[in-house]
Amino acid sequence: MNADNAIEVRNLTKEFKVSRDGAKTLKEFLVRRHTRSEKHVVLSDISLDIRKGETVGLIGVNGSGKSTLLKLMTKIIYPTKGTVETNGRVTSLLELGAGFHPDFTGRENIYFNASIFGMTKKQIDGRLDDIIAFSELGPAIDDPIRTYSSGMYMRLAFSVAINVDADILLIDEILAVGDAHFQKKCFDKLEELKRSGTTIVIVSHALDQVKSLCTRCVWIYRGQLRLDGDPTYVIEAYKKQSAIDHKEERKAAIANGTADYKGVVFIDAPRSLTVVNKGESLPLIGWKIADSDEYDFTITANGEKVSGIKEVPRPDVIDIYKDEYAGYIEGTKPGFEAFYIPEAEGELDIRAFITIDGRDIAEKSVTVTVE
Amino acid sequence: MMLREIYNYRELLKTSVKKDVRGRYKGSVLGVLWSFINPLLQVLVYAIVFPYLMKGAADHYVVYLVTGIIPWTFFQTVVSQSTICIKSNASVIKKVYFPRIVLPLSICISGLINFFISCVIVVAFCLIFGVGISWHLVFVPLIAVIEGMSAFALGTFFSAVDAYIQDMEHIVNFILTMAMYGAPIIYELTIFPTHSKIASIVDINPMTKIMNSYRDAFMYHRIPDMAALGGVFLLSLVMCIFAVAIFNRMQKGFAEQF
Repeated sequence: MNADNAIEVRNLTKEFKVSRDGAKTLKEFLVRRHTRSEKHVVLSDISLDIRKGETVGLIGVNGSGKSTLLKLMTKIIYPTKGTVETNGRVTSLLELGAGFHPDFTGRENIYFNASIFGMTKKQIDGRLDDIIAFSELGPAIDDPIRTYSSGMYMRLAFSVAINVDADILLIDEILAVGDAHFQKKCFDKLEELKRSGTTIVIVSHALDQVKSLCTRCVWIYRGQLRLDGDPTYVIEAYKKQSAIDHKEERKAAIANGTADYKGVVFIDAPRSLTVVNKGESLPLIGWKIADSDEYDFTITANGEKVSGIKEVPRPDVIDIYKDEYAGYIEGTKPGFEAFYIPEAEGELDIRAFITIDGRDIAEKSVTVTVE
Repeated sequence: MMLREIYNYRELLKTSVKKDVRGRYKGSVLGVLWSFINPLLQVLVYAIVFPYLMKGAADHYVVYLVTGIIPWTFFQTVVSQSTICIKSNASVIKKVYFPRIVLPLSICISGLINFFISCVIVVAFCLIFGVGISWHLVFVPLIAVIEGMSAFALGTFFSAVDAYIQDMEHIVNFILTMAMYGAPIIYELTIFPTHSKIASIVDINPMTKIMNSYRDAFMYHRIPDMAALGGVFLLSLVMCIFAVAIFNRMQKGFAEQF
């Protein structure tokens, strides 16, 4: 193993046997017919080196294999094929509060938790004050933790986790909990660890934090190493792919009826229950969005179709809905503009709606009085 | 090697034992007393019932019972709690790396500590019922360590198996219940006709040797049979080596079983 590397992964493959009703009892073991067990390949032929002192972000959608990779690096599970080698003390933070016992005090639980991470009493004694200070628990540190609120519990567990001695620190999404103040404290601490030369691998969905903290980003896509490099670049590629996949999934779900299109229509003008003048050109202004590349948009006035609908840019709408309607809204002109001249006095019902595959999926109506 | 790892994680071993010994009864009114009440109740039941069943029960039958039941309880609890320790710690095993052997090891050590505390009760019984105590008590820790080794070996082995075959715990508990009758814990060896098959089978049982040694130390004020003890020690040592080797092999798959 190269002395500059903290972790070396070579041709790593991990399969899980997914058996329906695995033989868990003695009877089943003895009487075993070939239970249908499927092989689920979680990671496929992954090779990568992580140098000492690097801070690497591991990204990918849920189920892509990132947590499994972390567990393989920690030797909680073992590879089906390939090797994982580490050089240095590895500490993995996959869960908060491991080893906590509710009837013991916060102080005692610090020892329980830190000792599971492999720290000796001397090391824990040295860190005790830092941990207690970081947790901001004050005198409650000497109360049994079953009296703690969930926030206090989290803070205690956080404080131990972030103050653990390690050469190589593997963190799995546990930093996603806790309030904003605490998250900031944790990331400041991570920066400090980074500066002191600790190798850090962090799994996170908070892409902005990955960008600011990590010097390198590895993207695991469907069990394979897809991209490895500068965080900004990799994250953009990841986002693009996610948008495409999301679209595909929606299409499939709609096709087999488990989901339907969604959309929003809004009419800015005219306002409902206002009065308009007969014979005067009435502007119909608003916007519409849908999660489909193609759709029919119609405006009716008292049931009669309005013609001459123009598409108009609405950057404010795009800004609001850019995440929710990612993949469908970029580069479009969501606004609409049309004109209608009311000929008759009385109630005028204006209805704007989106139709896809013959179904109305979104609409908005206003009613005005014509005089 | 594994011993080095256990040394590195010695604080974890310490805290686990602490949790087992103190944690079990924290918050309950009777506290640590609970670990004695169970065996004492057993002693009570047998002491009342058996003299009638057996007509001609041993001299100082109550002391005889106590010096058998309390050491047996030590063995039984270590084996039966170790069997489920991997399963009960599934959530931690899935998320943190630590040498898994610490789990059954901490159960054995905390069992040993609990046993030494209960020895106070045994001594109390000896004094109260006029049997008296002698310097031979010094052998008790030695016997306890040997008994603990065999309990550790069995517990470790079963804990590994139970992770994969989950009715192991029921089988183990059943065997333990039956096994209590396979050694002279509540009865004396003399109830069997001398030179009979069954007498020799019971006599060969290593647990019999251990029980005899405890009684020598507590009751009869004799030096225990060192040859027999030595034999049991060697057997326990071999069992430990096997059990640990098997455990190490099987532990790779623990995290995936739950």
